[in-house]
Amino acid sequence: MTHEDDKTLAEALAAARSAGHACVLATIVGTRGSTPRKVGARMLVDPSAGLTGTVGGGCGEAEVIESAYRVLETGVAERVHVDLTEDFTTWSPAVCGGVMDIFVEVVGVTNTPATDDKAP
Amino acid sequence: MTAVPLGAAEISELLLTASAAGGSAAAATVIGAADTAGIRPGARMALVRHPSDGTTTRGSLGDASLDALAVHHLDAALDDRRSRDGIRTIEAPRGQIELYVEVRRPIRELIVVGAGHVAQPMAHMGAMLGYLVTVLDDRPDFATRERFPDADRLIRADFSDPFADVVLHERSFLLLVTRGHKYDFECLIRALRADPSPAYIGMIGSRRRVRATYVQLLDEGFDRASLKRIHAPVGLDIGAETPEEIAVAVAAELVMLDRGGTGVPLRGVERVAERFFTDDGGEDTAAHGVETEP
Repeated sequence: MTHEDDKTLAEALAAARSAGHACVLATIVGTRGSTPRKVGARMLVDPSAGLTGTVGGGCGEAEVIESAYRVLETGVAERVHVDLTEDFTTWSPAVCGGVMDIFVEVVGVTNTPATDDKAP
Repeated sequence: MTAVPLGAAEISELLLTASAAGGSAAAATVIGAADTAGIRPGARMALVRHPSDGTTTRGSLGDASLDALAVHHLDAALDDRRSRDGIRTIEAPRGQIELYVEVRRPIRELIVVGAGHVAQPMAHMGAMLGYLVTVLDDRPDFATRERFPDADRLIRADFSDPFADVVLHERSFLLLVTRGHKYDFECLIRALRADPSPAYIGMIGSRRRVRATYVQLLDEGFDRASLKRIHAPVGLDIGAETPEEIAVAVAAELVMLDRGGTGVPLRGVERVAERFFTDDGGEDTAAHGVETEP
C-alpha cells in the first residue's frame, strides 16, 4: 500500500461513515505464489457508490464482491480464499498461479467515541 | 481509561496521520478467533509512535489481556525494520486469535533539487507514486506553482546551504538535477554528511561529470564507500533521452529500491519460454499449480 492508496481508502471510509451506511472492506491478509496484488491491498465495496481500490481485478475479485454482499446482509465477517491456480485451458480469469486469503468485514456503521490511552 | 474498539475509518485515519507527520504506526485487526475466545472479528487497535512525543495506543480488541499481547506484537513489528504485514497467531487465554498486523513508516519524501526540465516530470511522477514532493531551486521563477502543480512544497533555497529548510530523514529520496555540478557538489557534501542518512541520493550527469564530482569528493576527504552511496548517473538503463523519459528511468529506480526488484526485464527473470518449454515447441510437464516466486 502506498501512502496514496492509504489516503484514497481513508477518504472513502470517512465518506461512508459520515453517509451513515454500511460498507464492506476487503483486505488481502495473506498470499502464496503469483497474485496480482499482495498483502495489504484493500477494496471498499460501497453498495451506493461502488468500488474503491482493488484486490486484483478479474482474478478473484468477483468472488470477493459476492462475499461482500453476503457479509453486508449477515453482518458476519468472512475469510475468502481465492484460488488463482485454475487450469489455463479453462479460459477462467483465475490463472495467475497463486492463492489469496482475504478478510471481508462490514465497516462504516460504528460510531464509537475515540479515547486516548497513553502507554507507559 | 476504558479502551474502546475503533472502526476501520478511525484506524485508517490514525495510520495515515502518523505517517504523514513523520511518525510510525502499527495496527492489529482481529481476522479470526476461536469460538471460545469471545472476540469479534474486525476489532482493531493501533500503536502510534509520534516523531517527538512518545507512544499512544488507541482502540481495543475487546479484552484487556489480549490488548496487552497485541501491543507486544505491534511493538515488535515497529522495531523490526524488516517486519512484513501479515497474519500473527496469538494463543490468548480463551483460545487462538488471528491478527492481521500492518505497519506504516514515515511517508517517503522525494526532494528534487533544481527545478529545471527533468524536475517537472519527476515531481509529477513522485506525486503519482505517493511521495511527498519537495522542489528546491535558488531561482524564484523556476520553483513555481505553475511549473509544479502537484508538488507538495516549493522552496527557494540558497545552494550554499540547500537543505536549510528541509529535514532530511531515512525516508528522504534526494534527486540532484541542478543546472551546474558546482551546486550538485554542495548538495552532495551535505547529503552524505546528513544524519540520519537519506534513503537515496541520486545525481544526474554524464560519466565525465559524475567522475569529476567524485574526484572533488575524494579531495574533500570522502572515501570510496561514500561514493558508492550515490546513484549516479541516475535511473535504470532504458535508453532515456527526453526529460520525461529520464523521469521514468529514475522513478523505476526508486520503485526498484523500495520494493526490492532487480531492474532486469521480467521476461529475463522469469524465463517462462526457457523453463517450461522444450526446444521442439512442446510444453514441459510442469503443472499449472501454485508456482514459487523467483
